Amino acid sequence: QEINVTGKVTDSATGETLIGVSVSVKNAPGGTQTNVDGNYAIKAPSNATLVFSYIGYTNLEIPVNGKAIINASLTTSNKSLSEVVVIGYGTQKKIDVTGSISSVKGDEIEKLVTTNPIDALQGKVPGLTVINSGIPGASPTVRIRGVSSTNNADPLYVVDGILQDNIDYLNPGDIESIDLLRDASSTAIYGLRGANGVIAVTTKKAALGKTTINFQSTVGVQHVTDRIDLVDAAGFKKLYTAQLANLNAAPFDYTNYTANTNWQDVLLRDAAINTNSLTISNNNDKSSTVLNIGYNDQDGVVRNDNYKKFIARINEEIKINKNIKVGGQLMGFHFRTEPTVASINNALWAAPIVPIKDPNGLYYTMPSFQRAQVGNLAYNLDRNSNTDVNRGFRFNGNLFAEIKFLKDFTLRSTVYTDLGFNNTRDYFPLPYTVVNLGEGTVPTTTFFDNTIKTSINQNSFESRKYQQDHTLSFDKEFNQKHRLNAMIGFTSVFLSNTSLFGSRRDTTLNVPNDPNLWYLNVINQNNPSSNSGGGFEESNVGVFARTSYAYANKYLLNATIRRDASSKFAPKNRWGTFGSIGLGWVASEENFFKDHVKDIDFLKLRAAWGRLGNSKGVDQNRYQQTLAGGDNAVFGDNVYTAVGNAYFPDPNLRFEVVQGEDLGLELKALNYKLNFEATFYNKTTDGILTSFTLLATQSENDYFTNLGNLTNKGVELSAGWNDSFAKDFNYSVSANFGYNKNVVNSIGNTSNFQIIGNGGVNLTESGQSVGYFYGYRQIGIYQTAAEVANSAAFSDSAPGDIKFQDVNGDGIISPLDRTYLGTPFPPYSYGLNLSLSYKGLDFIAQGQGVAGNMIYTQRRNANFAILNYESNRLNAWTAPGTSNVEPILNNARANNYLFSTYFLEPGDYFRIRNLQLGYTFGQDMLGKIGVKKLRVYVSGQNIKTWSQTTGYTAEAQIGSILGGGADNGAYPVPAIYTFGLNLTF
Amino acid sequence: CKKLLDTQRQGEYNTDNYPYPGGAGPYDTYIFGAYKDLRAYGVHVFGFILATSIRSDDADKGSTAADGGADANSMDNFPVQPSNGIVNGMWTGYYGLITKCNVALDQIANNKDIVATDAQKMQSEAEARFLRGYAYFNMVRFFGRIPLFDKVLGPTELNVPQSTPAQIYALIESDLKFAAANLPISWDPKFIGRATSGAATGLLAKVYLTQKKWGEAMAAANTVMTSGQYDLSTPYDKIFGETGENSKESVFEVQATATPKEETAYGVQTTQFQGVRDGGVWNLGYGFNVPNSNLESAYEVGDPRLARTFLRRSTATTTYKTVYGENTATTWANPIYNHKAYVSPAFRAKYGYNSGYWMNLRILRYADVVLMYAEAANELGGTANTTIALTALNSVRARARNGNTAVLPDITITNQDQLRTIIHHERRIELAMEYDRFFDLVRWGESQSALSAAGKNNFNASRDNLLPIPQAQIDLSKGVLTQNAGY
Repeated sequence: QEINVTGKVTDSATGETLIGVSVSVKNAPGGTQTNVDGNYAIKAPSNATLVFSYIGYTNLEIPVNGKAIINASLTTSNKSLSEVVVIGYGTQKKIDVTGSISSVKGDEIEKLVTTNPIDALQGKVPGLTVINSGIPGASPTVRIRGVSSTNNADPLYVVDGILQDNIDYLNPGDIESIDLLRDASSTAIYGLRGANGVIAVTTKKAALGKTTINFQSTVGVQHVTDRIDLVDAAGFKKLYTAQLANLNAAPFDYTNYTANTNWQDVLLRDAAINTNSLTISNNNDKSSTVLNIGYNDQDGVVRNDNYKKFIARINEEIKINKNIKVGGQLMGFHFRTEPTVASINNALWAAPIVPIKDPNGLYYTMPSFQRAQVGNLAYNLDRNSNTDVNRGFRFNGNLFAEIKFLKDFTLRSTVYTDLGFNNTRDYFPLPYTVVNLGEGTVPTTTFFDNTIKTSINQNSFESRKYQQDHTLSFDKEFNQKHRLNAMIGFTSVFLSNTSLFGSRRDTTLNVPNDPNLWYLNVINQNNPSSNSGGGFEESNVGVFARTSYAYANKYLLNATIRRDASSKFAPKNRWGTFGSIGLGWVASEENFFKDHVKDIDFLKLRAAWGRLGNSKGVDQNRYQQTLAGGDNAVFGDNVYTAVGNAYFPDPNLRFEVVQGEDLGLELKALNYKLNFEATFYNKTTDGILTSFTLLATQSENDYFTNLGNLTNKGVELSAGWNDSFAKDFNYSVSANFGYNKNVVNSIGNTSNFQIIGNGGVNLTESGQSVGYFYGYRQIGIYQTAAEVANSAAFSDSAPGDIKFQDVNGDGIISPLDRTYLGTPFPPYSYGLNLSLSYKGLDFIAQGQGVAGNMIYTQRRNANFAILNYESNRLNAWTAPGTSNVEPILNNARANNYLFSTYFLEPGDYFRIRNLQLGYTFGQDMLGKIGVKKLRVYVSGQNIKTWSQTTGYTAEAQIGSILGGGADNGAYPVPAIYTFGLNLTF
Repeated sequence: CKKLLDTQRQGEYNTDNYPYPGGAGPYDTYIFGAYKDLRAYGVHVFGFILATSIRSDDADKGSTAADGGADANSMDNFPVQPSNGIVNGMWTGYYGLITKCNVALDQIANNKDIVATDAQKMQSEAEARFLRGYAYFNMVRFFGRIPLFDKVLGPTELNVPQSTPAQIYALIESDLKFAAANLPISWDPKFIGRATSGAATGLLAKVYLTQKKWGEAMAAANTVMTSGQYDLSTPYDKIFGETGENSKESVFEVQATATPKEETAYGVQTTQFQGVRDGGVWNLGYGFNVPNSNLESAYEVGDPRLARTFLRRSTATTTYKTVYGENTATTWANPIYNHKAYVSPAFRAKYGYNSGYWMNLRILRYADVVLMYAEAANELGGTANTTIALTALNSVRARARNGNTAVLPDITITNQDQLRTIIHHERRIELAMEYDRFFDLVRWGESQSALSAAGKNNFNASRDNLLPIPQAQIDLSKGVLTQNAGY
């Protein structure tokens, strides 16, 4: 009655064969596994039931019913177990990974409306900080596990294998997945480039056996939800009058200044955003093809700002025979941008008492007290908008060949090229006639500045990158217990660029406002002109090896080694050897676990160590003494060339070394409904590349050297729950949390000088976090002369001034009373996701936030002229008892402009990142018109932020490492209301 | 691999591949880098004007009430904050200049690749040391105790404690003496305005005068006066404009020029900061450093120099003129500007620009040397010296009088104290608004009385004779640098 049953086991979604699937007879001991071709053979009673089980897939039971051939098609029970992640020069199953790698799938990225795909990662992955910019097309600031350098903390991007500094050129709708390699063991394979973490992007691939056409489109409007609370004209007059009185100055004559202009209305607008992506893919036995075209168009919420992006990509793979595969990819990218000429601070600083235009259409200038420093924003926008032709082109692509030989060996060679060409032409039109309103005895006049002439700039920039990767790998499974993968490889990257700039001014003709004329050639070459040009070259070379070994899906080992060099450094300091080792134990595969722990489906413990270098942000050949050219000495009317040393070189300059440990626990339980992951990490950077101002020199002589050691330690937690309330009613919730503690263990201890940022507002020193805020602590306002006399004070403190804490207790306030005031880098970050679906209807809610950092409202600390006030100043101290927070209105009281907690705001915020309601029409509904699937949705992005900050965005501006956290008029991050559709044929 | 990794910086020279030019002189490109710093913002622009003139009793900040913010206002009305960014800019500007001088000296001493004769080396060293001496002389008068760097130091060697003013003055004297002995008395016209032995000696006279070394000061001034290079033949109203540059009056000027193509790149911004401030066609600059009524009342009746120093806004009833004969406007933001910093309309038209970057900055002119001579002679005393002092003093007054015998009579008083007062007064008027008044007041010990008289009541000489050491520098030094008294 026992018969021989054979068959093949495949993945139900991809049709790919599955290796190592357990096949057993229900309620019987023993069993077998599928071989490398996915085939199995087992003896079974003809009335028995076969059980197919495979990690990450739902168990499948099939009655034998006397059949000799039973093919099984398994469905993934939990995607993350069958998931494959990018590990550098290759991929690996997520379950075999021993470091910290998270994936974000393309469909999650598509659910946010953005022109830059990195935006969509905000709040998705613990340990990843994304600071979005509202500037159309701009790169966000990205930090992985804090700042591990004082020099450059940007991650490395790897797009389909090619190393990049950003992914601004990608179509957000053309991404299959983004893998975040966060720990040193995962990134060690990248040698000198990966120390700040790696963001690996895989563009869309064709699904097997299908021809698919997918079209996605969104139309949205962006709106600034949080305006800055500025005073209006009445408020301005009140405050400026009070200030003049405090200065014992004559009152200002407001007779002609009767307007109440809201300059933020001039600055901001509701702006359109539109994204489109069309993907056509085909995959058959012989070849696979993906064709993607995209078009994004984003207006800025700051007036006259626009960014357009056109992308086309074709990817082709051809299987010449069973063992040889060749292919290539070509991507073309084109952008057109019209960056705004409006300065945000212009709107914040302009006095609201000034009307915009007179009845004849002439613009007014600002009052005399700010005329030289602040312009009429409407005038600037009108005169200088649409005067740029700013275009960029980029072509990148690769060609590869892959040969399998001797059954288990694969040789793969890829060559990449990335070429960029940017061109700008700028036109500076004549000024307009303006009206200077009369003040006091000075009458109203109109004025045309005839010293300003039309001029044209032309700028061209060309960048080139060539990369080659060659790997030889060995992949084998022994005795159905041992899985071994080994690889060796060689890579090189060469980068270069060239730039050229020219400018001419026409002193006799007015060049018309016509883009067809905006070339240097329209202006006679004898006219005033200037030009410049420069270039750059850098190369990197590396050899590497990696091995991965898994025993019975239980015991995991990954190890890498890389020897890497960068041309940035002197020959003796060029090369470094880096590597990693990772161990994993899948406890849930142990028999005792299976026997005793019922509710836990999967439990993995992992530990890894890695060491790598960082050469990011270091200038080429900085170890050599470069001469600063372009200077001139003058004698009489004769001009002579002058040179000087451009900087002090450190001949021993070398890369910094990052070393890190990573401990993780991954858990899936309650029939894969619950998943939980916890990671602890500790990473130390040694020989930090630091640039600092040398004493008694000019700042241009900044010194660049290896100095000190810093540590980032942290915890990353993520948890999720998937279930259904009832049939067709599914829901999932997930949350992630990251905590990072940054400590400088030593810096400058070998040198006797201080490292400061943002003019001394930020300090970097041993025992504290990088670039912490350093200043005075406000404890009130001096109310009376007696209080000044009886308190610690500056020698010139007066009633109405900020009262600072006498930190050192010496009875006076002096620079020695400055102290730690907080960190600009958020130590805590978190994200929340909720999704519900009922039949075709789905709903998503996402939230995201940070906590623990401070933001410096530097925009309020400007006092180079009389500027408009933010409404907090309405509460300024005027007499004893009137305020204990806001100092007197008097810009000559310099003590009140010293950096103190008065200018700091807590940076904690929570934001509703995305609310989305969608409906999916299935094939059953639209199949007749050839539609496989159609999803339509409405969404609201960034619609509400809870925060104590007063600027346009609550997100800390931390692009500068040594001087971060200052809000100098940061670009608004707008709410985006969108209608979108996702159509598949 | 090696070849691939040996990439070079593109489009920039380094010390190994720089083709040091022949012709002018082998070290000139380095020394010219120091000359370029004389035009730097931190060296001779806003901070310089504030510290030398606006701080004094003769001038007020001007511009608009708030322009320049607390940093600029406090240098008019005191006290200056250690956090003052302008003061920090001066510190880094001057040390930048000093570093350039030291780098040039290092090249002269150590660069074996540069072929030069001993005479060339001596002359180049003299030029670098002249510029360094000048920089330290201003710095010691701004700040008092400052760090002394007389050679190129490694980054970790730079954090040294302050030296005493006496140590700084010793370096200045040694630099200027070497410069005086080894610089040429004049240069080929293509290098007009380059540092000469006369410039070094004249500056040395002021260094001696500041230290009350009267005999040395008198001797140094005399050397300049007998050099045959300078005289008082230039009429007072011709000295300050563009056409008066590098005249017989000129001992040392910061050289600046422009072309219609490059209005600013070869220039210095000092003039723009003092240019007429107006929203219209008269918009020549920012309008800082305005002469005040306290200075005006110090002029003797009928002194023609007043009109060349005070540039007045016209009123509904009175029309004033510029030195070039234009009627001034009624719309100017301030009633008075520094007439000596007024750029000529002809040059504005020539360069198609208003802000006067091309105007040379007069650092030391001949009348200054003559008055130093008179002052030193009077301080030494004695009949012969008094006669010498009177002769020198009257030669300056004679030129100022410009043939009008009704004004500025010759001085005949021989009483030393009275004559001292007269010489001080003559310096104040002759050199009014020329960036020396505050230093003069301090060295005469008159700063407290003069500033109080001018209504600058917050001034406290024990603190405000010196600027605060910038807090940013104290912070960078981790407290190795210490603050001046009173701050």
